[in-house]
Amino acid sequence: MATEVALTVDLAIILFSATLAGFVAKQTGQPTIIAYILAGVVIGPAALGIVEVSELTELLSELGLAFLLFLLGIKMRLEEIRHVLSSIVKISIPQMIAVFLVGAGIAFALNFGLVESVLIGLAVMYSSTAVVIKMLTDKDEATSLHGKLDVGVLLVQDVVVVIILAVLAAGQPDSLAEVATTLAVVLVLVALVTIAALVSSRTVLPVVFRRIADNEEIFFLVAIAWAFLFVFVSDNINLFLEPLFGITAYLSIEMGAFMAGVAIAQLPYSKELQDRVNPLTDLFVMVFFVSVAIDLEAAQLFEYAPEAAIAALVLMPVKFLIFFSLLDWQGFGSETTFLGSINMIQVSEFGIIVAAVAVEGGFIEPEILGFMTLLAIFTMAVSVYLIEFSHQLFERFEPTITRFTSEGDFEGGKQEYRDHAVVVGYDEVTQNALPLLAAHYDDVVVIDRTVEHIETLEAEGYDAVYGDFRNATIRKDVAVSKADFVLSSSVDPAVNSVLLESVDEEATVLVEAERLEDARLLYESGVHCVLMTPYLAADRLGEYLETYLKEGSDDELEAALESDIELLDSTGSFPGPGGGTGTGTGTGAGLGAGPGTDDSNGSGSGSGSGNGGGLDE
Amino acid sequence: MAVAVEVAVAMEVVSMSDLLTAVSIMFIVTGPFLLVANRYDLPTVPFFILAGIAAGFGLDAFGIADELTLEIAQYGIALLVFSFGVGIDISAVRSVIWDSELAALAQIFVVGSVGYALSVALGVTPSEGIYVGIAAALSSTIVGRGLVQTDIQSRLVRGRLSNSIQFVQDLFAILLVLILGTGLGTGTVGAGPVAMAVGYGLALIAAAFLVNRYLFDAIGRLAGDSDELMILGVVSLLAAFVGAAQSADISIIVGAFAAGLAIRHDPIEYLGLFNGLESVRDFFVAIFFVTVGALITFPFVEAAWDESVGKLLVAGGIVVLTAVVKPAITTAVLLFRGYERRTATLTALSIDQVSEFALIIAIQALLLGQISETLFDAIILAAAVTMVTSSLSQRYDEQLYRALVNRGLLPSAHGKIDAWSDVPDNLSDHVIIVGYGRQGKRLAQTCDDLDQPYVVVENDPARRETVAAESDAVVVGDAMESYTWEKANVEDARIVLSTVASKPVSRRLLSYNFDADIVLRATDQSEARTLLESGALYVSVSELLAGQQLAEHIEALLEGDLTAADLREERQADLALRADVIQHHLQ
Repeated sequence: MATEVALTVDLAIILFSATLAGFVAKQTGQPTIIAYILAGVVIGPAALGIVEVSELTELLSELGLAFLLFLLGIKMRLEEIRHVLSSIVKISIPQMIAVFLVGAGIAFALNFGLVESVLIGLAVMYSSTAVVIKMLTDKDEATSLHGKLDVGVLLVQDVVVVIILAVLAAGQPDSLAEVATTLAVVLVLVALVTIAALVSSRTVLPVVFRRIADNEEIFFLVAIAWAFLFVFVSDNINLFLEPLFGITAYLSIEMGAFMAGVAIAQLPYSKELQDRVNPLTDLFVMVFFVSVAIDLEAAQLFEYAPEAAIAALVLMPVKFLIFFSLLDWQGFGSETTFLGSINMIQVSEFGIIVAAVAVEGGFIEPEILGFMTLLAIFTMAVSVYLIEFSHQLFERFEPTITRFTSEGDFEGGKQEYRDHAVVVGYDEVTQNALPLLAAHYDDVVVIDRTVEHIETLEAEGYDAVYGDFRNATIRKDVAVSKADFVLSSSVDPAVNSVLLESVDEEATVLVEAERLEDARLLYESGVHCVLMTPYLAADRLGEYLETYLKEGSDDELEAALESDIELLDSTGSFPGPGGGTGTGTGTGAGLGAGPGTDDSNGSGSGSGSGNGGGLDE
Repeated sequence: MAVAVEVAVAMEVVSMSDLLTAVSIMFIVTGPFLLVANRYDLPTVPFFILAGIAAGFGLDAFGIADELTLEIAQYGIALLVFSFGVGIDISAVRSVIWDSELAALAQIFVVGSVGYALSVALGVTPSEGIYVGIAAALSSTIVGRGLVQTDIQSRLVRGRLSNSIQFVQDLFAILLVLILGTGLGTGTVGAGPVAMAVGYGLALIAAAFLVNRYLFDAIGRLAGDSDELMILGVVSLLAAFVGAAQSADISIIVGAFAAGLAIRHDPIEYLGLFNGLESVRDFFVAIFFVTVGALITFPFVEAAWDESVGKLLVAGGIVVLTAVVKPAITTAVLLFRGYERRTATLTALSIDQVSEFALIIAIQALLLGQISETLFDAIILAAAVTMVTSSLSQRYDEQLYRALVNRGLLPSAHGKIDAWSDVPDNLSDHVIIVGYGRQGKRLAQTCDDLDQPYVVVENDPARRETVAAESDAVVVGDAMESYTWEKANVEDARIVLSTVASKPVSRRLLSYNFDADIVLRATDQSEARTLLESGALYVSVSELLAGQQLAEHIEALLEGDLTAADLREERQADLALRADVIQHHLQ
């Protein structure tokens, strides 16, 4: 009788423990990543041992990393990172060599064997993509200058990790030539994937996404399908390579996911997608962090605990100093140098993977894997706090830091909107307002969810953002909190209340509403004018009917209708003629005296606010 | 090459799992299918199923078993039902149940029984016949809501009607899942376990209300401004309810539904949460539908000839039941409940598909061994087919309706209109107002104020009493029927004012060539221009008026003629005035 439609207990336990730990962390001001990793340690075999890695949790944690990189890719507009590209290469290569030497040195000093030390060196070179990107995203700094630098360096490291994994996976190499071949193949593959992504972002993708952008569900799912295409090809690269070239290689799914994202980032619809992908990523990455420590037995994990602690304590300051001097060398100025370096001091989850592959290849013992895991967890934990409070740390130590840094001569960052006008939704109502606003404000930004509208707006020279105002990224993007004038054509109370929460107190706010109660609430919460289209139309029609029924008022009616029809013919894009005809008297006297007393029957299509007068009778 | 072997070993550590390969294949295959759905403006669900059928071949090529993805698919089911629970508006439940729309229940029972009886008569076993009946009776909310979206937005009666019929059906589906999960359909289970299951189900729903009242806001407070934690908390809550259902030995679907009720909340406060849940749902629901498609043993290609013919016969039977018999019965039920014939027909034509809940029920039954693989496949195929046909029948609904009328297949409209309408015989030189919404009321009020005789034409029986109480004369009928106009004595009328912004209605009004002046409503300017050219005296476009008013306000603000605070004061005063007038009017 038991239903066979059943869900696994393991995932439920992971969810509960992560939620519990996450809420405790939130209440005590700790970063959630730490909470997730600790939850993993507690429920894993090292402590309670109530959860095992199942196929499903493995899938979700793989998806976590893939989605994290995909999301990151979506944020990478090429024009925004081009100027830091050469710096990134100049920083990442020396950094990895230096960290490798230090890491191997420490390991050797801690009495590990020569091969083990070299491998440990190779495993600690990378900083954690998951931690850094998650923290940057949470702090909304992924597209800041130091964020872009860190992301760039992490990606170069990712390429290197892929190469190292490929070499290690080949087992004990027979010759140097073999290593070189593997290296070349991987580099070619990475180049190919990159080219595929960039070419498609110019050719296929604009056409496809232009068609589907108006359908939220299809838009989201096709984007995900695109990501999976790259993930799948990266993972199954040998299916193509082996029959064609007789070689095998390894390409990371993270790399594929990232490039899929980069291809979409070049399209105007990428902002909207970020907010759609974000929640899924959060959920999956949580599973990833919980499962970091979930596979290991306590004995393996803690065999080299003291050594791991010492290595961590040495490595973190060394990594910081290496990054610091390299960034300073590239002339990024003290703040960017400090923030960019402090973010990168942890050991990556890739270190664990490298160690795992090395164990599999027979290079090292499982205990070394335990050592690496512990080292990664420990350095991640510390670094998360440092990243969380990086700005405070910088302010505290700024005088000391600037003593060591050279003058920053690197320019970057984009200009932000300020004291501008934001228009939510482009339609027959708001289009009248745009020319007026454009004449008065330097920047007028329009948010809309229809591709055609965006194109029309851009053709007319307005800043148009494709997306849903309910999404936080979109609101941030148009800097609604700094706007001086906000106009919303949405009658959705959710949109308008989120708008009211995010605008500045000084800003002028005009919105639309459908119901009287909504309008009343909106006025109470500070809106300056609520347009109520249905009532407006009802009143107008009522007035016309009244005129129609009155004896001998044919001329009056004719004039009124005529001017409305004129308005209709003017297609409304120019408010001058439309507003002008009816309000020849209205603009001066009518508005001066205030609506509600204006006799709108006389002035034909005069000010809509004159309708109050109509109701008075 | 020795290297290759070693690589393969190492790959197992670093490479992705079968499951990820499976999910990747599913999405990659689904992408192009969705592009087709988008191109022809068709619902996505049938295309997920089709993509699933195609992906099934891909999965086989990689040697991946269907069962592997079934587990993720179940999260899809859970999230689908969960979001149904989240979206439930309790006050709507009340009004639907107490309102005249109990028609929905009648429709379910009649169609369900006909489906059951027919399938048993055709040789399907009684225990499987139940599932045929369910597949025929329930309609898809996902597909249906997409189809009638514009009707709902324009507040047409049929939009509201099909919406609430589907709502009742979905609630009913949850009950069916609960009861059938006990194995009742197989006839081997007595009343005891069913009562137990219903008891547990009610307990879960009660728990959901408690959580909603006492725990949900606490979670919101604890999560603070973090959408991530909020989503995590809610997903945990879902897992908890699903787990509770599982341990009580009832379907997880009931648990997921209760979890949805537990977090039911005004979305404004937790916008990030509800937007986030939507992404999570879309992702897993896509996997669910695709998996369903992948589970099908495709006729002829993958199955033997006889079996395939049998399967197609059953599927065809369900298609006929759903796409022909169901709309016919629904129309009859609605006509009986007093809806006029056009509304009844058009509503019926928007719910002529198999429901996603029927898929869920079928998959549960398959897993419990209550139905054969053949019937399961048939139900899924029928669902895919009817979801496509129903969007076609919706697209051509006016033509279908005309064809039915012309062949005399629908009863005459006169009886109902005569019975419910109240028009004085000697009415002349009057105003005819079409539609008694906000605009209609305002116009009627104007006539009242001027002692001008008028008639209201309204097609919503739910508004009938209000109209009758508030206005002099009323015709309850459809503006598309010429008898309605005869009844309203249009020959002697002075002017016809339509407040319905529906293209077919406007066009038809003009085509009657009344002597009276005609004033219409349109939603866009080009339509308005066309109507004017075709003879309307005036066409009201609300947006145009609002745009004009807006431009005036902004001009005054920007030129400094008016401060923002002044504008607000003025507008607020205007609103207060309006509120008074409206209230006065309602008394």
